[in-house]
Amino acid sequence: MLQELTFGFPILTLLVFLPLGGALVLWLLEDGDLIKRLALAIVVLEMGLAVVVLRSFVPDSAAMQFTEHHQWIPPLGISYHLAVDGISVLFVGLTAFLTILIVLYSWDTVRGQVKEYYMALLALETTIVGIFVSIDLILFFVFWELMLIPSYFLIKLWGTGGEREHAALKYVLYTLLGSVFMLLGILLLDLNYHEWAVRYGIEPSYTFDFLHLLNAPIPPDRQLLIFWLMFLGFAFKAPLFPFHTWLPDVLGEGPFGMAVVLAGIKLGTYGFIRFSLPLLPDASTNSVVVLVLMTLALLAIVYGSVVALIQPDLRRLLAFSSIGHLGFCVLGLFALNFQGLQGSLLTMINLGFTTAGLFFVAGFLYSRCQSTHLSALGGLARQVPLLATFFLIIGLASIGLPGTNGFVGEFLILLGAFKAHWFYGAVGVLGVIFGAAYLLWYYERAMFGPLAQGLNRAIVDLNARERLICLSLCVMIFWIGLYPAPFLRIMNGSVQAVVERLERGSTPTAVAARPLARAEVVEE
Amino acid sequence: MKFTLTMSGADLLLLLPEILLTTWLCVVLAVDFVWPQLRKDRLAYLSVGGLAVVLVTLFWFDLAGISGTLFKHMFVVDRLAIFFKILIVGTTLLVILASMDYVRRFRFFRGEYYFLVLMSALGMMFMSSANDLLSVFITVEFSTFGFYVLVAYLRQDLASNEAGLKFFILGIFAAGLLAYGISLVYGETGKIVFSDIASASATPGLVIGFLLIFAALGFKIGAVPFHAWIPDTYHGAPTPITAFLSIAPKVAAFAILLRMLFVSLATFKPAWVVLLVAVSILSMTYGNIVAIAQRNIKRLLAYSGIAQIGNVLIGLAAGTKMGSDAMLFYLLTYLFANLGAFAVVIAVGNVIRSDEIEDYSGLNRRSPFLAFAMLVFLLSLAGVPPLAGFIGKIYIFLAAIDEGLYTLIVVGLINVVIALYYYLVIVKKMYINEPVDPSPLRISGPMTAVVYVGLAGTIILGIYPRPFIDWVVGATLMFSNLVGPTASVLPPTVLPFGG
Repeated sequence: MLQELTFGFPILTLLVFLPLGGALVLWLLEDGDLIKRLALAIVVLEMGLAVVVLRSFVPDSAAMQFTEHHQWIPPLGISYHLAVDGISVLFVGLTAFLTILIVLYSWDTVRGQVKEYYMALLALETTIVGIFVSIDLILFFVFWELMLIPSYFLIKLWGTGGEREHAALKYVLYTLLGSVFMLLGILLLDLNYHEWAVRYGIEPSYTFDFLHLLNAPIPPDRQLLIFWLMFLGFAFKAPLFPFHTWLPDVLGEGPFGMAVVLAGIKLGTYGFIRFSLPLLPDASTNSVVVLVLMTLALLAIVYGSVVALIQPDLRRLLAFSSIGHLGFCVLGLFALNFQGLQGSLLTMINLGFTTAGLFFVAGFLYSRCQSTHLSALGGLARQVPLLATFFLIIGLASIGLPGTNGFVGEFLILLGAFKAHWFYGAVGVLGVIFGAAYLLWYYERAMFGPLAQGLNRAIVDLNARERLICLSLCVMIFWIGLYPAPFLRIMNGSVQAVVERLERGSTPTAVAARPLARAEVVEE
Repeated sequence: MKFTLTMSGADLLLLLPEILLTTWLCVVLAVDFVWPQLRKDRLAYLSVGGLAVVLVTLFWFDLAGISGTLFKHMFVVDRLAIFFKILIVGTTLLVILASMDYVRRFRFFRGEYYFLVLMSALGMMFMSSANDLLSVFITVEFSTFGFYVLVAYLRQDLASNEAGLKFFILGIFAAGLLAYGISLVYGETGKIVFSDIASASATPGLVIGFLLIFAALGFKIGAVPFHAWIPDTYHGAPTPITAFLSIAPKVAAFAILLRMLFVSLATFKPAWVVLLVAVSILSMTYGNIVAIAQRNIKRLLAYSGIAQIGNVLIGLAAGTKMGSDAMLFYLLTYLFANLGAFAVVIAVGNVIRSDEIEDYSGLNRRSPFLAFAMLVFLLSLAGVPPLAGFIGKIYIFLAAIDEGLYTLIVVGLINVVIALYYYLVIVKKMYINEPVDPSPLRISGPMTAVVYVGLAGTIILGIYPRPFIDWVVGATLMFSNLVGPTASVLPPTVLPFGG
């Protein structure tokens, strides 16, 4: 199905392991300032590599690019296979971008155990980039699980809430619970391939390679089983309603840097479009599956938005708004048409600028008022005009105002949803309205009116670093909002391939590439 | 019956590792007697040197492909036996290194300690080579004698005495079961060599006989419902002996189980698969759930060990070549991670004289190295990638899924989550809590070496497992034509539960 393009240099390996290597170097250092500078240098270098990848990426192509393929554990069919395509490449850039901002944000907000903090953050970056560039499912799973370790320490050691220990444990165990079912799904995929390979005498008969697994047809009922198993993994991680209960706790109690990662980088929904849809096209287009997923998506949109409306704490509000946005992403995915998928993918990227941006704003508020709770806020617009302005801009982008990136993504999703069924689109629109309501209402209460009790009149406005964070977010927001073509072109080829795959079902396509099997398939 | 014994020089060669070890343990004992002023850690190094020589011999056997049987098939040497022997000798070597500081706690018989450890190791080496029921009985008892003494070695400590007594009584009970089972099987078939029994037909006596033998071996590996002795014995025994007990006898008993099930009882596979699935599910679930409530790290590791054995049994239950490969590999990962974890417990216990989990608070402040090592070992036991335990679990599950053991896998996967919970509790204590006494922990050289070996094994087996997988695949070649994967024979749509 997919062609592979290689790049002369193992740039993806470097992208994955540069932060980890950096973390190891940090381990040897003692000086706090030096550690911060070095961490910044590493993440900037990482961004540079990501830019190289994005610039050398061939747009409008379904090919897997920058492929690196080595055997890892041949007897089990596990390989070290890295590649990016239109679906994953933007996430790599997004991860690198957000990590820089987090390092900038943490510059003077993280005071205790500085070295360990940056080590954990860099390790986290390695695992996330690893998730996006892994094409072998076990390798993907390795990074997917490994991510929990730095996350656990980040939430537990640098969380701001009193319940952070509980939140960290809840996050790890919930995600792991979903993941083990996903692992079972992955093993079943391998088993299915094994049976197929044995029948046609294809060697090696075990594989976890995504591109190989695409070749083996999967019986529909088994597809359904695997789909639901993988669904659990992705749904817990995303998190989709009703698997979301860890999210408000973690985002509310954890450190802002971690919240930015969890709210800004949509790993769960990425899993759906990366693996579930192409590998299990018949299950994904199954009417029951679509109905269940769409219902969950709509429930998530309505539930997330309504609950967000009554949250007095910005962080919990953003957590629920995240749940609503994830509903949008799923709505686009399971509209199962080109616009829906494209919009969904773009929205996943957008949330990395908008929701994550709002978490930075929440962080700025927190470092000024020691709270993001409404009871401690009010009338801030006059004190900190810059902060208020950026809050509004990013907030409007999150709502989906035309001209901002949120609009493009949501518009495409709604277009796709309407094409699937008018009802999906209609309820989806409702979400947009609620989205405007909760955010603007919170904004009004926090920023306008009389200055809140206990707030010092001399609160300072954004400093240079914070301005840099906001400005770079705004650049991205308006770039995608006004000129989304380059981003859409990057994803087009791969999204088109997924759509074709969904239409065709899981019949073997690349069998012709394997001379051994061709004759037998014809006989069948 | 007339029993003639003929042995040639070539036959003796097959016994070379055992002969070397026997000689060496006599030397160790003699040196201790003749030269009582000798510092006891010299004796430890002497033992380690001997074990190293045995280990080298075993690797040479493995590479040279030396194999054969002795004493009318009682004693077999093949790559499988050599694999298990390498595991046992390696464990013994590390345990002796880890014991050196701990031995100072004993008031008496410090020298004999090493002798007893070596003797148990010798017994377990013979266990790995046991090829008929008689040698099973003899070797199992031989290896256990040393442990009876070692478990109760802390003579002033009531817990150690209690541990020794419990271990002794249940051990004797298991020996009784074993002897009775063997007598029944022999009475029904008139045969004792594993491969000869394979042709027997199922009679009630044979079934009961084998069930009794399994029960006895169940005691050795500590699977539920034969686990009752484990927590108290592990808790009371000197920690290095606990570490030894948690790995070596289990490994050796698995060698016997593997041969018995795959060779003697290959035709009864459907029956014993059900049995093993049940025992595996019980062990994993019971071990993990009870582990949550533990306050003492040795007890926690005891229960987690019960659960780990449940995981190993998944591979055995698969009953295929791949299942046995996975099982061997898993044992290898378990060896490094569990021994490493116990090494940290010994190192910490030597300084703070406590095994309570509460006292691990702030270990990261007191010794970042030990805390990090413990983190790696616990995560590997939990099966977090990319450590050894993860590859081991994948391998085991893959083997089981090929055989369609879905219930077992689902239970196994849920247990992964439960296990991570209590491992994380320790991690939290080490990294998050503040230490009561922040003074740095001092670790001796040999102890550090053991921890490094554990770390290296745990990480290398996870990141570059290929040579080790090749090794286990080679060790079980004898099973490749016995039981093939059945999954590929089934029509692809047949699943016990499809969407």
